[in-house]
Amino acid sequence: MFGFQLSVIRLPCIPVPHLYKVQMDDQGCPRCKTTKYRNPSLKLMVNVCGHTLCESCVEMLFVRGSGNCVQCDTPLRKSNFRVQLFEDPAVDKEVEIRKKVLKIYNKRDVDFSSLREYNDYLERVEDIVYNLTNNLDVENTKLRMEQYQRENRDTIQRNKAKLTREQEELEELLLLEQQSNEQRRLDVLQEEQRQLQAKRKNKQALLDELEQSQLPATVLVAQHKVRAAQLETQIEQQKQVVKPTNIFSTGIHMRQTVSLQAVPRLEEVLYKYQPLQVQTYGPPVPELEQLGRLGYLNHVRAAMPQDTAGGYTSALACQRAIQDALSGLLLL
Amino acid sequence: MFHNSSHKRFWIFKSEDELEHMRCKANQKFRNKILESGKSGANESIFLERNEEDVLFRYYERRMLDFCNAFKPAMPKSVVGTGIMYFRRFYLNNSIMEYHPRIIMLTCAYLSCKVDEFNVSSTQFVGNLVQESPAGQERVLEQILEYELLLIQQLNFHLVVHNPYRPLEGLLIDLKTRFPTLENPESLRKSSDDFLTQAAITDAGLLFPPSQIALAAILNSALRAGLNLESYLTECLGLKGDKEMLARMYDSLRRIKILLKKYELPKAEEVNLYKHKLERNHAEFSTSSNKRKRGYEEDGHVAKEPRLTEEEWTDEDLI
Repeated sequence: MFGFQLSVIRLPCIPVPHLYKVQMDDQGCPRCKTTKYRNPSLKLMVNVCGHTLCESCVEMLFVRGSGNCVQCDTPLRKSNFRVQLFEDPAVDKEVEIRKKVLKIYNKRDVDFSSLREYNDYLERVEDIVYNLTNNLDVENTKLRMEQYQRENRDTIQRNKAKLTREQEELEELLLLEQQSNEQRRLDVLQEEQRQLQAKRKNKQALLDELEQSQLPATVLVAQHKVRAAQLETQIEQQKQVVKPTNIFSTGIHMRQTVSLQAVPRLEEVLYKYQPLQVQTYGPPVPELEQLGRLGYLNHVRAAMPQDTAGGYTSALACQRAIQDALSGLLLL
Repeated sequence: MFHNSSHKRFWIFKSEDELEHMRCKANQKFRNKILESGKSGANESIFLERNEEDVLFRYYERRMLDFCNAFKPAMPKSVVGTGIMYFRRFYLNNSIMEYHPRIIMLTCAYLSCKVDEFNVSSTQFVGNLVQESPAGQERVLEQILEYELLLIQQLNFHLVVHNPYRPLEGLLIDLKTRFPTLENPESLRKSSDDFLTQAAITDAGLLFPPSQIALAAILNSALRAGLNLESYLTECLGLKGDKEMLARMYDSLRRIKILLKKYELPKAEEVNLYKHKLERNHAEFSTSSNKRKRGYEEDGHVAKEPRLTEEEWTDEDLI
């Protein structure tokens, strides 16, 4: 055996806040003990403290708009309750907190002179979010946040404005796109209607003519057909005109000059089939198809119906025997 | 098909002299090996002479034939023929002093069962060693499985053997179809079969294509029945214009017949004498096989626990 030294790999101990405690069957309201399992329509709500309550309990406990958390006695407002999106309410809590923190810590990489500083800043933000989520050192953290807010009031305001402006630009862009889409749709619709009308008019004209004209009906019908065909081609042409075609579907421009020089031809001797020649060292063996005609099959056991299911015929066995009998017979 | 087989290319030899030469070389090779290794007690007298080897070889071949004929379920002829051919091919390049024919013959039979699609399990196979106790059968089985790889290697992995039995059938069909002059071709079958059984334990299979052996069997039995098949050869097999070919053909047929006639059963007293010598020889130099075994194990080919004792059972127990 090779001396394998097994060593226990130590994983760094990361505190995982009751992440794996919550399971499907005990995901429920801590107050009324209703679970998702018993009541699939159960709606769980989370507030800033990260503790769950079901919708009906929220309605009952927070009739007056505010109250304390059942589990941690934190004063809460009813309006701050959110539907629990994640299995773990701590995640909901973190999302909420992060939203709040990022409102204050809204600097961007352009606000820093070096990447290093920006990264440190991000690290600080994460620390704050982590502390608040896990109730570590809350007072100090809050103080730090307030301090930061006071110190960077201008930057925060500026960035907020910038953010909203960017948002607006984006929305404008979206609106424009939507408008152009709508316009295109209307155009297509109009075009179709126009075509439909033209066709209908043509038909009506035929009926009128049939009514009034002295010419025989067949002639009129033929004339109508010609007109209809013309109309069709017109429509087709229009359709083609509508699309500005200066580009092929492959992305090659139509006016692009393509080298028309012929591909150099390969001068090679063509393959010529030659039937397989097998030296059997013996007299020639009759072909499989001819065995019956030559009378060979009269001397072998006929194949039973059940034998033939797999493709067997008595000729196969017969030919094999004869092949074996003659192969190598004249080998010296 | 025989004409493009390894059988034709590698295992059809020119003459009996060539075969004899190969066997002498195998004998000599073993002697040299032992003498070079400088074993104590290695003097010329302990080795088997070529003719002594030959007697023992024929004796064990006979035993193999008996074993196969007594085999249950009945072994098809082609399986027996293939097995015996393996046995002969194996001892072309190896001396019976090196590998004991007792185990090689069983391995040959076992391998031919597999190759010729005669489906018996290994336990069923050794179950035919009726004289053996179940434990003994188990031991034999282990040996067979051990030697199987060696056998295949020594056969150069050419495992398809073309037996003359199907050619005989083909010739009979051909006779019935193209040579109606012959009144009852079926009457030739019995003695032809006997001829082929005889031919199997001669060198015919190493010298002639199976179709020629089959033709020799038919011509021989026709001759005995007082029928003349010469016109079949000239008319139907297209030898009419080719006098030389016909002559050479007759020559090979004659040689096959001589081979059969030359065959004689080993004499019991000779066999006993040489067998004694063989056992002594193997007891003395049996390390060779141990060495081989170890080599296999190192290569990871055979991962079996070491065999108990190699020579615990004797061939007297067979059958």
